[in-house]
Amino acid sequence: MSDAANTDRWIRWLNTLQLVLAGVLIMAPTVWMVLSSFKPSFEVTAYPPTLIFSPTLENYVELTRTTPFLSYALNSLIVTVGSTALGLLFGIPAAFAVSWTRITWPAILTLAARMAPGTLFLLPWYVMFRQIGMIGSYTALILSHAVITLPIVIWVLLPSFDAIPRSVFEAAQVDGCSVTRILWRIAMPLVASGIAVSAILAFVFSWNYFLFALVLSNGDTKTLIAAAFNFIGEGSTQWGALMAAATLIALPPLVLAALVQRWLVSGLTLGAVKG
Amino acid sequence: MASISIRNLTKRYGNFTVIPDLNLEIADHEFVVFVGPSGCGKSTLLRIIAGLEPISSGDLYIGDKRVNGVQAAQRDIAMVFQDYALYPHMKVYDNMSFALELRGTPKAEIDARVKRAAALLHIEAYLDRKPKELSGGQRQRVAMGRAIVRNPKAFLFDEPLSNLDAKLRGQVRAEIKALSQELKTTMVFVTHDQIEAMTMADRIVVLQSGTIQQYDTPETVYERPANQFVAGFIGSPAMNFFPVEWRQKRAVLSQGGTVVPLDGEPATRLSKAGNAVLGIRPEHFAVATDAADGIAISVRLVEPLGSDTLIHFDLAGVSAIARVDPSLRPKVGDRINLRPQPGKTHLFDAANGQVLR
Repeated sequence: MSDAANTDRWIRWLNTLQLVLAGVLIMAPTVWMVLSSFKPSFEVTAYPPTLIFSPTLENYVELTRTTPFLSYALNSLIVTVGSTALGLLFGIPAAFAVSWTRITWPAILTLAARMAPGTLFLLPWYVMFRQIGMIGSYTALILSHAVITLPIVIWVLLPSFDAIPRSVFEAAQVDGCSVTRILWRIAMPLVASGIAVSAILAFVFSWNYFLFALVLSNGDTKTLIAAAFNFIGEGSTQWGALMAAATLIALPPLVLAALVQRWLVSGLTLGAVKG
Repeated sequence: MASISIRNLTKRYGNFTVIPDLNLEIADHEFVVFVGPSGCGKSTLLRIIAGLEPISSGDLYIGDKRVNGVQAAQRDIAMVFQDYALYPHMKVYDNMSFALELRGTPKAEIDARVKRAAALLHIEAYLDRKPKELSGGQRQRVAMGRAIVRNPKAFLFDEPLSNLDAKLRGQVRAEIKALSQELKTTMVFVTHDQIEAMTMADRIVVLQSGTIQQYDTPETVYERPANQFVAGFIGSPAMNFFPVEWRQKRAVLSQGGTVVPLDGEPATRLSKAGNAVLGIRPEHFAVATDAADGIAISVRLVEPLGSDTLIHFDLAGVSAIARVDPSLRPKVGDRINLRPQPGKTHLFDAANGQVLR
């Protein structure tokens, strides 16, 4: 066998090894979480961990018996869908405006807001929402989660809008389109897959965001992820119920990502090459 | 249909002036071609007329209306872009009907107009296709169809043939010319290709550095170029230029002192100026039968084109070309006597390049 073929074989083998290692590292906590949710409570924290056990639904039963789980799920859905819709409503025109005008600082500002720790916003928001009597309302939660969804929508869509040849927009202008109509009739249909991807990502990030809901929600509006925190007590932690809750919480984003994974990759690389 | 009037127009990008103080009148129904090298401001000027670039100062009129601050959407102008700029998500029919739909044209009229334009451009068979399913030439036709259906005040073309292959370019060029005669609408066409300019235009605007060098009919621009830039830009192969002087009542090449057979009016002009740049187009050389009647040159390269033959030679430090009859069959190294055809020479001021009259 030639040296070149040998080198190629090694590179392929190393690539596979890297992917397997990365997969194990990423998937191990998820697998552990799912397996633990089906273990009896006492076995969850057993050391060394048991790999062979009799699966049980006791944690799930316990979860639905002791908590208004469906109500929390509905809260999560309302906040996530609301904040994703809000992110799309403002993010799509914002990304288009940044692409159109080439004035990038507003986009950078939203990115900075996204990168800043959530605690930075928490205190002013708490004070602000309390003064206007909105603590515990869906509106406060949706508005706060827009800090998560808006930058995602803008930054996913920006390269997609940039990839549309400028002359297409100019042709629409000459044809008689206002800027708003160009966005609606020309630009949005052309970045439809980017919009879908940004919506999914915004949904996932908002669904998983914990901090704002912990402070800004109340018993009626608590989201799943904030509610799961209740299983961690000062004296004892209900690990089994916590794992069951975590598994159920992780389910919608995982299913969503799995369903649209091909679209997700093409949408994320949409702006890379001009068509 | 409308005239276009540009008065004292200036276009600046920051401190950089692209078009300094330009005046231009395009008559109603006229086909005007802007031609010039890259960066001369021809596309910028077209985009200003379209309303895609703001004016820094000066005035722009379409018909009787001053349109300086009027949006592109309100100018009632159609434009064909270099990359065609078709809407990728719309079918050909929708691409063509889009502008009419925006104007609230009744559906039946839209349909009639789209079908009429499609028939005119031979694209009826593609109306249900998306742009990505069409070839370059078909896309180009759709772009023209999109413009035609609107029946606008003026058509603007921004180098629409530059992405087509040579054969198709010639074909579409002829079609656009035929269309202009049929539609009888004001047309402004931008190109860097002087053949396109010569073949299509009623009048040509030759631009350099945002300044109009000459604005006239193709024949005049070719036969009586206003300056050395125009003379060198229009014509292929380009005009040959030789520095000449008037010495001992004869025209001689400045380098080498070879006598140039100039007589009549050009000789008078050169005698007055003392020195100048002599311009001779390759096709305006004649092979002199008498050695004393011409300039002896040595053939450096021969390009047989079939219809005629190009002879490359060096004269007075200038690399020059002569277009001769193919029956001459010269060979590299041959010595030939060439002389400029009477009345076909051009003299330009050696200092500023303006034609000497």
